[in-house]
Amino acid sequence: MNRKWIAAAALALTGAMTVGLAGCAGGSSGGGDDKTLRIAMGSPGEAQIAVWESIAEEFEAANEGWKVDLNFQDDDMYQTIGLPNLLNGRNAPDIYFEWVGNRLLQRNADGFAADLTEQVESGALADVLDPELYTTTTVDDKILMVPHIADVSNVIWYNVDMLAEHDIDPPETWEDLLKACDTLSAAGVVPIASGNKDFWAAGNWLGHLVSRVVGADAYDEALSGEASFDTPEWKQAFGYIEELHEHGCVNESANAIDDNEGAQLFFQEKAAMHAIGSWLVSWAIDEAPDLTFDFVNLPAMPDEVDADSVEGVITGHVVNAKSSPEKIEKAAEFLAMLHTPENTEKFVGAEAVPVDATVSEIIDERTVRLNSLLGEAAVVISPADTGYDLEVADAFYRALAEVMAGRTSADEAVTQLAQQVE
Amino acid sequence: MKPSRTLSPYLFAAPALAVFAFAVLVPFATTGYYSLNEWNGYGDMIFVGVQNYVDAVADTVFQTSFVNVVVYILVTLVVEVLVGLLLAGLVLTVRRGSIWFRVAIFTPVMLPMVVVALLWSFVYNPDFGLLNAALTELGLQEWTRVWLGDEQTALLAICVVSGWVFAGFYMTIFYAALRQVPSEVVEAARLDGAGEWTIFWRVRVPIIRNAIEVAVLLCVTGGFQSFDLFYVMTNGGPFHATEIPTTYLVQAVFRTGEVGYGSAMAVILTIVVVAAGLILVALRATADREGRAHRRLLAKAKEAVQ
Amino acid sequence: MSSSARTRLVRTLVLAALALMALAFFIPLVWMVLSSFKSNSAIFSTPFALPTSIDFSQWAIAWDVGNISRYALNSAIVTTVSVIAILGLSSAAAFAFSRYRFRGAGLMLGLLSLGLILPLQSYFIAQSTMFTRLELTDTYWALIIPYTAMGLPLATYLLKVYLDALPEELFEAARIDGAGDFRIYAMLALPLLKPGLATVAVFSALSCWNEFLLALLYIQDDALKTIPTGLLAFSSRYVTDYSLLFAALSIITLPMIAVYVVFNRQITEGITAGSLK
Repeated sequence: MNRKWIAAAALALTGAMTVGLAGCAGGSSGGGDDKTLRIAMGSPGEAQIAVWESIAEEFEAANEGWKVDLNFQDDDMYQTIGLPNLLNGRNAPDIYFEWVGNRLLQRNADGFAADLTEQVESGALADVLDPELYTTTTVDDKILMVPHIADVSNVIWYNVDMLAEHDIDPPETWEDLLKACDTLSAAGVVPIASGNKDFWAAGNWLGHLVSRVVGADAYDEALSGEASFDTPEWKQAFGYIEELHEHGCVNESANAIDDNEGAQLFFQEKAAMHAIGSWLVSWAIDEAPDLTFDFVNLPAMPDEVDADSVEGVITGHVVNAKSSPEKIEKAAEFLAMLHTPENTEKFVGAEAVPVDATVSEIIDERTVRLNSLLGEAAVVISPADTGYDLEVADAFYRALAEVMAGRTSADEAVTQLAQQVE
Repeated sequence: MKPSRTLSPYLFAAPALAVFAFAVLVPFATTGYYSLNEWNGYGDMIFVGVQNYVDAVADTVFQTSFVNVVVYILVTLVVEVLVGLLLAGLVLTVRRGSIWFRVAIFTPVMLPMVVVALLWSFVYNPDFGLLNAALTELGLQEWTRVWLGDEQTALLAICVVSGWVFAGFYMTIFYAALRQVPSEVVEAARLDGAGEWTIFWRVRVPIIRNAIEVAVLLCVTGGFQSFDLFYVMTNGGPFHATEIPTTYLVQAVFRTGEVGYGSAMAVILTIVVVAAGLILVALRATADREGRAHRRLLAKAKEAVQ
Repeated sequence: MSSSARTRLVRTLVLAALALMALAFFIPLVWMVLSSFKSNSAIFSTPFALPTSIDFSQWAIAWDVGNISRYALNSAIVTTVSVIAILGLSSAAAFAFSRYRFRGAGLMLGLLSLGLILPLQSYFIAQSTMFTRLELTDTYWALIIPYTAMGLPLATYLLKVYLDALPEELFEAARIDGAGDFRIYAMLALPLLKPGLATVAVFSALSCWNEFLLALLYIQDDALKTIPTGLLAFSSRYVTDYSLLFAALSIITLPMIAVYVVFNRQITEGITAGSLK
């Protein structure tokens, strides 16, 4: 072989590679026009994954030539940059999991939320869900999301036996709660267990607490960046968290252990109460079958603006507006399949209770009560990390954690928070 | 050797260079480019010049992360390198069966950091962990802490784990080097009446100077690049008490989506690591030169006296 | 006290101190394995008690349900392919740099040596965006390519040192016998490099097997996770089932320790040679 040949071959190879790479790096054509329905979500746990896979098979059987590609990402990643990366890359998902709130508005603003009104009124999604369920997922008169699972993201769970042992009634007011903390601490029991290493566990709880004091509107405005945190009302609200610290209400290790370990304190009966969401029910039944437990909504705060407000998340699925019309149709069909009575039952069996599930023996009565709590609440607020901008939510949760740990005073934390958010 | 085909050497070297260029050199250059922009990974890139660097230097969390990593390096110089040296010295005195000690102490070096982190997270667990349980059993209840949750103890707790892992590594390096010390020098010192301890520090250690310098270099440069242990055990918590540059920049890029900012921090970290390495190497060179000059002087003096 | 008695006392103290240290290093691992035989509640209530029986049931669950077998397989695949690639590419490059004079050799070697000082942080961010663009994430290649690239500088350097020590006559003789470049490489250089290759294989395998950061960023699909990230995922799924967690950790560590104990001389040499450059 002589040099010229080799040089020519090398050049050709380089050229081919460049063209190939350039093709690969091509712009974001969301959706693609092959016959693959792409679905993306965070990881819902082994049991639910099995249900999803069976529904995927069902869909593929009913739709000759179509494939379903399920993408389960790491939760934390999905919630932060995972989903935006997917949506903006090649092979963007056609259906994706989302939370109601700011996030949904953002997807709409970025053009990733398809208008499903037609499908709901006369298309594949007609008569699948009670029309009322779409109220929270409708933006500017367009139905953008098919709700799937509603969770109360924070209540105070308590160990029935332990409270009875110490002669304490389930706390209905703030003073009740503080008194309970004193009694339990004196007896060497952790009053309220929290595993706040990732900031959201106590963040959800304390966020709800302060929202009661400043009111849902002020809460919403501050987190949306429309109002400042640096107000006396916020300082007063954070002041109550200081009281929690002073009365030793929360386990010292709260900021070092994660939510699973916090729950474990409750299951092992080292703590009498636990502030977490409705998903505790099935988990507790599995882990601690002998545990007698029940819940109360957040106790009434002194001078609260929105009494009895409930903190809840509604999650569901959005169809990618940038997918081809054919795929959007198929996506709607898939979502309809998701909500058939058989599949709803399968989800219930996997310990996730969809919004359209009817009361039955397999659903724990505590879950039923939680669902009614959410359904009948006059005021529902969203947890900061799913309902609002992630950076603001992070700063908010960190501020709450610092005051809970007694590391920063309420006033300082609020001022710092206001500065960080600006 | 002359190649049978002129192109041969290139064909041998090309694959390695190609893979290396693709996976390391090109990204290295690109990271520098990213650091001059503001980008979230998929949207538009906005050129901001050195703004990211200015922000990074002013960022209190970034500053804290460097303070933490320097503390970590200083502590590990003691619990890894110094302890390793002492262990090597101890093992040296054991005539038979030293292999068992060395194997036992070296074992943690091989383990994936995740295993170490999970195991020790449990040891440090405030409610069920071994350490607090042991302290309570021994009646030292007041000494129990939330080891990984208390800002005062978290960083040191991680340093201890690091020592547990790597002391064996340095012990092995020093042991091998100590074995090379010529026995005549040791014998001469013993005849002069020096005790083992003195012999160790005055005779053996200076001779293995080279190995010690390499060890310090490894400990320092490796320390700046730490990630695994910190990420799994505390991920920067509590409240940034164990935040190190890498955990912070990973969070900036992969959680908050600030690719440009994270890249700037990565570049700063690289400069620090390379600078530290160069400084240490330069120190070695000057020390060597001084040492040689010193020895030459001594040799001349001896000659003159003879 | 007589001097020999004194020496004996000192020696006993030294042995005792060493035994204590060795225990301190080894005990946590022993405890971990023993705890994997206990039930969860036993671990919580009596952490120091010995298990009542050697019960491998948790091990079986970890292997199957916990997917440890899958993670181990992935680690094995990634490590094996990377090590083979490193051995092949670095030996060829070392051969070229050592035995030939050619234009650009200095530059190429210099670039490769950059890999010896550049920390991972200086390139992994851009590497990750590049891999995402090329859709390499969630494939074995996303790990094999970087692992190979990261292992090349040190491997090439070490093998070059080995090759430099060989006398030129050896190669001239082969050339006179009419062997072409590739034959000299394959039939002469490689066999002579065997000990060097073994050393490279040892420390490359260990760093690939234990690598965490890139595995964390590039592989999200649970079916493809390697041992470090798989274990992390496992631990967050079963975070409070400590006996299961310890069983998983034991399954991973015991084979490694066994291999180390048997091959300890080669492994120790390999790892320390790698670091001493």
